Amino acid sequence: MRAFLVRHWYAYAMVLPVVIVVGVLVLFPLAQGIYFTLTNINEANIANPVLDRPASYEFVGLQNYLHVLSGSESYGAFWSTLVRTLIWTFGCVFFHYVVGLGLALLINRPVRMRGLYRVLLILPWAVPPFISVFAWRYLFNSQYGILNQGLATLGLPTPVWLGQSDLALFSVMVINIWLGVPFMMVTLLGGLQSIPHELYEAAEMDGASPWQRFRNVTLPGLRSVSSTVILLGVIWTFNLFHVIYLTAGQNPHTRILVTYAFERFFSGATRDYAVASTYGVLILSLLLVFVMFYRRAMRRQGEVW
Amino acid sequence: MAEVAYVNASRVFPGNPPVRAVDNLELAVADGEFLVLVGPSGSGKSTALRMLAGLEDVDEGTISIGGRDVTNVPPKGRDIAMVFQSYALYPHMTVAENMGFALKLRGVPRTRIKEKVGEAARMLDLEKFLDRKPKALSGGQRQRVAMGRAIVREPSVFLMDEPLSNLDAKLRVETRANIAALQQRLGTTTIYVTHDQVEAMTMGHRVAVLKDGVLQQCASPRELYERPANAFVAGFIGSPAMNLKTVPLTGEGAQLDGVVVPLPREVLDAVAAERLTEITFGVRPESLRLVGADEGDAVGRAFELTVELVEELGADAYVYGSARVGDRPERFIVRVDGRTPPAFGQRVRVAVRDLDEVHVFHPETGERLSG
Repeated sequence: MRAFLVRHWYAYAMVLPVVIVVGVLVLFPLAQGIYFTLTNINEANIANPVLDRPASYEFVGLQNYLHVLSGSESYGAFWSTLVRTLIWTFGCVFFHYVVGLGLALLINRPVRMRGLYRVLLILPWAVPPFISVFAWRYLFNSQYGILNQGLATLGLPTPVWLGQSDLALFSVMVINIWLGVPFMMVTLLGGLQSIPHELYEAAEMDGASPWQRFRNVTLPGLRSVSSTVILLGVIWTFNLFHVIYLTAGQNPHTRILVTYAFERFFSGATRDYAVASTYGVLILSLLLVFVMFYRRAMRRQGEVW
Repeated sequence: MAEVAYVNASRVFPGNPPVRAVDNLELAVADGEFLVLVGPSGSGKSTALRMLAGLEDVDEGTISIGGRDVTNVPPKGRDIAMVFQSYALYPHMTVAENMGFALKLRGVPRTRIKEKVGEAARMLDLEKFLDRKPKALSGGQRQRVAMGRAIVREPSVFLMDEPLSNLDAKLRVETRANIAALQQRLGTTTIYVTHDQVEAMTMGHRVAVLKDGVLQQCASPRELYERPANAFVAGFIGSPAMNLKTVPLTGEGAQLDGVVVPLPREVLDAVAAERLTEITFGVRPESLRLVGADEGDAVGRAFELTVELVEELGADAYVYGSARVGDRPERFIVRVDGRTPPAFGQRVRVAVRDLDEVHVFHPETGERLSG
């Protein structure tokens, strides 16, 4: 042991700062969060140094999990919120990917003013999200929004886009898709450009039609990039808070798991830290399970390149 | 099986001024022939091949395969297979899938594809690797897969674009022989592009030399070596390169450092007709020899060389030395017996082995003047 330390102290000393930072910023809060889920901690019983009040929360075992998983309305209707979260996540990522890939394919071919198109298409990404979100809120405004005015002149019905209906979920998804496409487009464009040109020529010589070339050269060539961006996209979208919250606020029709955890943590009669933490831990577990299955599926497909 | 013909085919890349990458190429390849397109980089050899493949437009003229005009036919309809320099194997497919891909697209039944792929794999010694992905193969194996992919299709023409340039020297020599043997066996018309004149000479039935998009000469390797049509071909074919020097003329021949190399009558006539006072004089390193001190009768035919560098290759040695031509020094290369090379700084006397091996070119146009 002593000899080991003498030999390797330098390496350990170099790693130590990172270990401390990760420990303080990640591991400790994670452990504390998990502990909170097993208590009834809330605003009323947390230690409050200002009021000189000691902590009085109690250990309640798995009670929080039982409440949440029961799907009770007073605990955020977990199961229906989960379904909405999944629709939101996979709907957004699907359209991010498909639209992003389509634009990347278009922009990858030699067209005039390609540079200009690229800049314009990346723009949504460069604008701070809250500005885009407010711009979209104006577009979607049921009375003054340009969308409804357009629909009205065409004599079409003018729905309340961001009201208390599932249309609100549709609207926030549209906004998020618009926001997320540039990232997909840029990464997929990079992927497209890394596919050797000769592969397309070889496929052409082999008699492949444009669609067959897309299926047999482009898609396999993009596989490693696609698998990464889809994985990232799912995780980000699953946990995407600001678009929904800034657009629709605390609308139960746009509620996903993270927005509910936020609501529970920061608002309500008593700020319920225990239930919010329980949601956090459940979100983390769901994502871990997803990543595990996803990676296994990817490996089975043989991530070659 | 088919013959191939380029008729005044040109490829012009837009630009200012436009670049004529292939300029009025007129070339006929017989059925079953192995034709090598050779030239320095930028000579248009790859472009010429890609025009035949349908990967590059034909801006002027036509191209036909098997008597059929394919100028505007897409690659798919030309019945050709191509081996790329980078091999262009599909990375996500196994060797067998790579080789059978074209057949699969054509809708050939699976059992038949398997049979054909198996056959080609046996021919190329790839049977052990059929289930591997290209990245798990060595360079030489990948090259063979690329060949296999072409063979499986049984096309009427094989196109090969520098297929050996990514292999190491030893493997290249081996594969060179294998490809030539395979072509012999299959009897498929083959067009092969290379920048390596050794490949060109050893593999081709005929060799077409290109420069700046213009065909310089198309002939058998022997013919190219013995009677190059111009100074460019003379300098390009043969290693080390031919000694090409501009030398003054006298009544009987070429003036070299106090020696007159006699030239045949018809050359002198041709020169006289053009009223030239200088010619481009060419003699290959192997057409020169060292003259021993005892060879008294060589006096008057041998010129003097100061040795500047000796490259010993074992069997041969290349002697680089300078001689006076007119009033300036010129460097000559002489190929000598590797056992008794001269030393650096030594002054040696050099003579032309056989006057038939002297080449004379026009000093400005580079055209061949000797018969």
